[in-house]
Amino acid sequence: MSLAEERTQTGDDSRLAQSAAHVKRNRRAYLLIAPAAVFLVAVVGYPILETFRLSLYRSPADSTIETFVGLQHYVDIFNSDIFYRLLWQTGRWVAVGVAGKTLLGLLIAVHLKGDIRGRKFFRTAFLIPWGIPYAISAVVFRWIEHPQFGYLNAILLKLGVIEQGIGILGNPDIAWLGVVVADIWIGTPFMAIIFLAGLQSIPQDLYEAAAIDGAERWHQFRYITLPQLKSVILMATLLSTIWTFVSFDVIWTMTGGGPISTTATLVIHIYQVGLQNGNLGLGAAYSVIGFLLLLLFAVVYLRVYTRGGEEL
Amino acid sequence: MAGHDEGGLRRVRVYGMLIALLGIMMFPFYAMFSSTFKPESEIFSAPATLVPSQPSLGAYVDVWTQTDVLLWIANSFVISLGTVVLTLLLAIPAAYSCARNDFVGKRTFLLAVLVVQMFAPVVLIVGLFDVISRLGLFNTYLAVIVPAAAFTLPFNIWMLYGYFKTVPVELEESARIDGASQLQVLTKIVLPLTKPALVASITYTFLYAWNRLLFVLTFLTDSGKYNIPRGVFSMVGALQTDWRMMLTVSVIGIIPLLVLFAFLEQYIVAGMTAGAVKE
Repeated sequence: MSLAEERTQTGDDSRLAQSAAHVKRNRRAYLLIAPAAVFLVAVVGYPILETFRLSLYRSPADSTIETFVGLQHYVDIFNSDIFYRLLWQTGRWVAVGVAGKTLLGLLIAVHLKGDIRGRKFFRTAFLIPWGIPYAISAVVFRWIEHPQFGYLNAILLKLGVIEQGIGILGNPDIAWLGVVVADIWIGTPFMAIIFLAGLQSIPQDLYEAAAIDGAERWHQFRYITLPQLKSVILMATLLSTIWTFVSFDVIWTMTGGGPISTTATLVIHIYQVGLQNGNLGLGAAYSVIGFLLLLLFAVVYLRVYTRGGEEL
Repeated sequence: MAGHDEGGLRRVRVYGMLIALLGIMMFPFYAMFSSTFKPESEIFSAPATLVPSQPSLGAYVDVWTQTDVLLWIANSFVISLGTVVLTLLLAIPAAYSCARNDFVGKRTFLLAVLVVQMFAPVVLIVGLFDVISRLGLFNTYLAVIVPAAAFTLPFNIWMLYGYFKTVPVELEESARIDGASQLQVLTKIVLPLTKPALVASITYTFLYAWNRLLFVLTFLTDSGKYNIPRGVFSMVGALQTDWRMMLTVSVIGIIPLLVLFAFLEQYIVAGMTAGAVKE
């Protein structure tokens, strides 16, 4: 008997017996997913609940004494200037980061699409920045942007753009740009690979028809490529938004959130407050705000992912 | 002919653009590699020389004695391989079960798994800190392996689930009739047929564990257990940084990954595109 038939059978008293029978019949199936399910509940589910609980307590990391403070942490957060500054800094970090990754990724993909000799070589080469440790990428960019010995200053001096070496990461006004460049570099390959796969699934005859009509290349891109690629772009930028929002290793290694906290995002602040300063309660409250924002992205993502009632 | 010229011009434009883009994306690697061939006096000269004037391999001689790079590499392997094993042990049965059975809660389970992937570890770090200390895992490799496995599990389950579904049930049934046990069916028939998914899963998990700093930074204070990212991070000095050694360690730390990319690129790409591009 299929699941659907089973469900349509009526009779309230037999429902319990039926679900018991269902579990029994599928005992092996449940046993096989149990280890993964239990593991995820313990390592992800429980910490989520624990974070919510901790956010209601004053809980120093170096002490076992917790004091219930209710929503006090949240009140403090929403009344503090820091929170709004963090939102602004996180917003610009995500907006510029995702835009940069999308545009650069699209540019690479469009040029890799055609009949390119050595495409495998190019694709592998473009992939590498995505696949190496973020901390290593971060120190390399620190090195490039080094005020005295960095390559960037050497090039700019040679080109005559500047007359004196500039210190990007030490300057509160522009430090975040120095970091976001590294994050864009890391995140671009993913976009390029996804867009390339998307481009390759566009039927070639669409372009052939347009070529007969004499459509210019920009028009082809504007009226064929972009509309055909819409859902791929939506999915990729959504994922990229989530990943950029939670990007930690790069910022932490390049600036640690400084100078004067101008490169700190919400997740950097969570780490500073909760683990560095040992204020678990306040850190947990910031984390809950982070959850809610992530949940928002996740709901949109799932909507898009399961659109059209696709069978799982 | 005009058409031919146009095509030729277009090719030049495309390749020119590709090489320019490649140049931009490869520049950080160039900065890293070229700096490691400079002698100490040159690396700390301002402005920087873009090409080493007296290339030397000195840094690659010094790095073994002046840093713990070998230990960090070894730890990276322990952490990455441990994560791969734990993740597969959990993911294979779960994915197989979902691919072969229709049971109440399957959809919920698969969607919940997808949501886990959204929950980045850093927003969970305060709660995770609590779990790891309660489990008494601090300063053990498991303190890193357990959370890394949790956050690579979703990708693995979905990847393998997708592939397991494509293996015809008839193939398994006939093997069962021939007297094979269910475990034999899985290891001898299903897994070999889903090799691309397995390779993609393993590479993804390996890279994830190799590359992440957060868990090691938070849960391992014993410098004898540092992996490559944590080792590099520890070389960033507040006042002074030994850039020559740090960049050399970085180069050595990515060499295993470059080997991985060269051989497994197509699987990595297949894994990356699995989630976002659907037909």
